[in-house]
Amino acid sequence: MTSVLYSENMNAKPNVAGEIFMGEQEYSWRKDWTVNGWLFVATIISALCDVMFPHITRQWPLGWRVGIVGAEFLAIALWVRSLMTWIRGMDELHRRITTSAVLFAVSATFFAAMLWHRLDSAGLFNAIFPKPKNGGSWDICTVGHEFLLLTLFYFVGQTIFNRRYK
Amino acid sequence: MKNKLRELRTAKEWSQSDLADKLGVSRQTINAIETEKYDPSLPLAFKVARLFKQSVEDIFSDQ
Repeated sequence: MTSVLYSENMNAKPNVAGEIFMGEQEYSWRKDWTVNGWLFVATIISALCDVMFPHITRQWPLGWRVGIVGAEFLAIALWVRSLMTWIRGMDELHRRITTSAVLFAVSATFFAAMLWHRLDSAGLFNAIFPKPKNGGSWDICTVGHEFLLLTLFYFVGQTIFNRRYK
Repeated sequence: MKNKLRELRTAKEWSQSDLADKLGVSRQTINAIETEKYDPSLPLAFKVARLFKQSVEDIFSDQ
């Protein structure tokens, strides 16, 4: 039974983490696009939301605005699905490395965002840097910032856990 | 965990990539097992044993 389960993807070459790690020998632009295409779409929608919501779409009907937000989160859900499919296609070592890196990235992003938010609330950044114009703040609790942090921490985690088995 | 994977592979004159292809894993996984940085799962250990026509205990040992 176990051999049947394990042989499921035997004929296909297993996915490896370096496929979407720019600069690695195994890097494949095509694979990167397959895995992260929906993340790119989500980022574009998120950036448009950040630009449009405060200025342009304020007068649009509520349903439209909610629709835009829904499209962003649909893109994120589809990205998570393609990420899961990619991880399932890995061999056991790479699955372990990538799962650890994803867990590290999610935890580190949560911790960093929380710490930054608290420090901002305490007034640290306003004391060091000039106050942003138009009522802005130094807070980074936006979807765009979170994804940037998540990606950054994923690469850090991937490097750390990958090195362990090289 | 100790293993004789490198010994068995070189006896067959296979590269790490050859063995990886036969087992359906990446070359890095074979290297990590041979250098004893990674212990394979039971299904993979059985697959290795079947490929080399030996028992799992003959290839992998915990001593």
